[in-house]
Amino acid sequence: MIVLGSTSEVAQAFVEKALQEGEKFEKIYLFTSNKETTERFARHIDVKFLQQSEVIELDLTKEIDYNRFDTINSNVLFCAVGYLGEGTEEGLYDNKNTQRIIDINYSKLVPVMNYFAHKFENRRSGTIIGLSSVAGDRGRQSNFIYGSAKAAFTAYLSGLRNYLFDKKVHVLTIKPGFMATKMTEGLPLNPKLTASPRQAAACIYKAFKKQNNVAYVLPVWSIIMLIIRNIPEFIFKKLKL
Amino acid sequence: MKPNFTQKVTNWGNYPVVEKEMRSEDSFKKIKDFVLNHNEIIARGNGRCYGDASLGESIFSTKKLNKFISFDRLNGVIECESGVLLSDVLEIAVPQGYFLYVTPGTKFISVGGAIASDVHGKNHHAEGCFSEYVIEFKLMTESGDIITCSREENSDKFWSTIGGMGLTGIILTAKFKLKNIESAYIRQESIKAENLDEIFKLFDESESWTYTVAWIDCLQKGKDIGRSILMRGEHAFQHELPQNLGKTPLRLKKKLQPTVPFYFPGFVLNALTVKLFNWLYYKKQSKKEVKNFIDYETFFYPLDAVNEWNKIYGKSGFIQYQMVIPKEAGKEGMKKILETIAKSGNGSFLAVLKLFGKHNPDAYNSFPMEGYTLALDFKVNSKLKKLVDQLDGIVQEFGGRIYLTKDSMSRSSLTNYLKNIRSSKFVSLQHKRIINNNS
Repeated sequence: MIVLGSTSEVAQAFVEKALQEGEKFEKIYLFTSNKETTERFARHIDVKFLQQSEVIELDLTKEIDYNRFDTINSNVLFCAVGYLGEGTEEGLYDNKNTQRIIDINYSKLVPVMNYFAHKFENRRSGTIIGLSSVAGDRGRQSNFIYGSAKAAFTAYLSGLRNYLFDKKVHVLTIKPGFMATKMTEGLPLNPKLTASPRQAAACIYKAFKKQNNVAYVLPVWSIIMLIIRNIPEFIFKKLKL
Repeated sequence: MKPNFTQKVTNWGNYPVVEKEMRSEDSFKKIKDFVLNHNEIIARGNGRCYGDASLGESIFSTKKLNKFISFDRLNGVIECESGVLLSDVLEIAVPQGYFLYVTPGTKFISVGGAIASDVHGKNHHAEGCFSEYVIEFKLMTESGDIITCSREENSDKFWSTIGGMGLTGIILTAKFKLKNIESAYIRQESIKAENLDEIFKLFDESESWTYTVAWIDCLQKGKDIGRSILMRGEHAFQHELPQNLGKTPLRLKKKLQPTVPFYFPGFVLNALTVKLFNWLYYKKQSKKEVKNFIDYETFFYPLDAVNEWNKIYGKSGFIQYQMVIPKEAGKEGMKKILETIAKSGNGSFLAVLKLFGKHNPDAYNSFPMEGYTLALDFKVNSKLKKLVDQLDGIVQEFGGRIYLTKDSMSRSSLTNYLKNIRSSKFVSLQHKRIINNNS
């Protein structure tokens, strides 16, 4: 398994869930921008599951040397890369912030995804799981830079799914909704609408096994987003969302 | 949306509820920043203690310190971060033929919490407290420095942290020993006792058993006072097991885990329903003595089978009252305690009686002392304070003390037994309450 964004609690919970369910991986490749934390996780899965893994540093804001990834081969790619950045009030007109959000969530991420997608295509097997966001379903005033990058990522995954369909590679888009993770710590989230990383991992694993195309982590989010998507624009623009 | 780390926090008893800052970090550097930039910090694991322990002005949750570090499968030595739960340890230890030396009645407590409370189990008389098997731990002190504490290194901090209720710093990682087992099953004997005399006799007779505990019907009066069922057990050897269990002795079948869906309304638990429950529980076992094999989860953690069982006590919550009375006065003290409870009508859904063995003099902050300990659940209501005060009076009279991990309203004279913990940085609401009541 290849994991992009290995410090993500959801990614870690998913790896644990898959191993608990008895999935076999020769090696797990843990891509990360935070080596220390990820090495702790690597040791953890070694102790808990005797699972071999390799920690690979990847900083999406820097130049990427793809030659390093030549020998990496797997049949599952799990991408949990995500960067919320500053909200619009603080960060909208801060170009550095805007660029970073777009880079990490989309423009620098997609080439990496494509690199591995190509390998999967050549092997004619595998599953690509991408964590997008409900924020990408409709731009809202509170976080639309992040939302727009995620919207682009959602569109990318959808197109990739379409492209890889007859090459026997499956692409799964996950739209998590609120999750109780580092990204949202301290935010006033409604507990009924918020999934723990473990809960999220269980949902994603189920969607992975069922080969779903698009899945919300908590089913309630599909209803919420259905409503939000269908509010007429002339009303929506007046809402404080 | 701006981060606001203030939130409602409460321990397992849902009493008291406070609104305080709570943060969790997984990098030691960030934890150090937190320690240096906050005052009156207390670490908190999974919040399975009962009263106002682990609550403070600034709470550091160890939930993200949830990684294993190493497992020496040959010698049964495990090292992990302090937020790892005992249930996580069991998950990897049991299939390998290892078990926790000491476990409390729930497996959903953190390793850090087990050290800070120096938890005891059904085998205290035979194997002591959790700390007996701790090799070393890493502690973040007031200055944000990380020190290794063991019997040899920083031994003063080692012993004051054990049972020290988090008042000496934040435990980051811990290394401890596990015990060998051949199966995940317990050979159990349960014996009914008509009254207090009989149950005390049974405890004496069972001293050679590793695990002993008694469930006690605390609403009985007169000659029936102390009506109870003693359960004693040993880890079953593989060859003892019946054939159906013996094939895969270290694997348990997955069980369904129901969850209590909402806080029960206040009237559900009352003197009548508690009486009925206790009657049914006692009558369920029709024979005087039953011998059987049960899996370790049923034996050690019967309540863990129902998620969020604390909700049955309703929104106002409950307290767990656990005291110990020195052995020589034990029987007389227990009788008085049970009489007082029966008279109050404030029955306890679950009353557990145990015999503690000798206290480890090195672990001076640990709660257990040689004698009898009784743990009782009481729903919080207007009459409770008075009852607790009456019970405190009896415990005091017989020279006993109260378990800090479960305390929220007892007399400070019974709870103020910790030594070498003075710190202006690490302060819990419980400790403040105890100190303030004392002066």
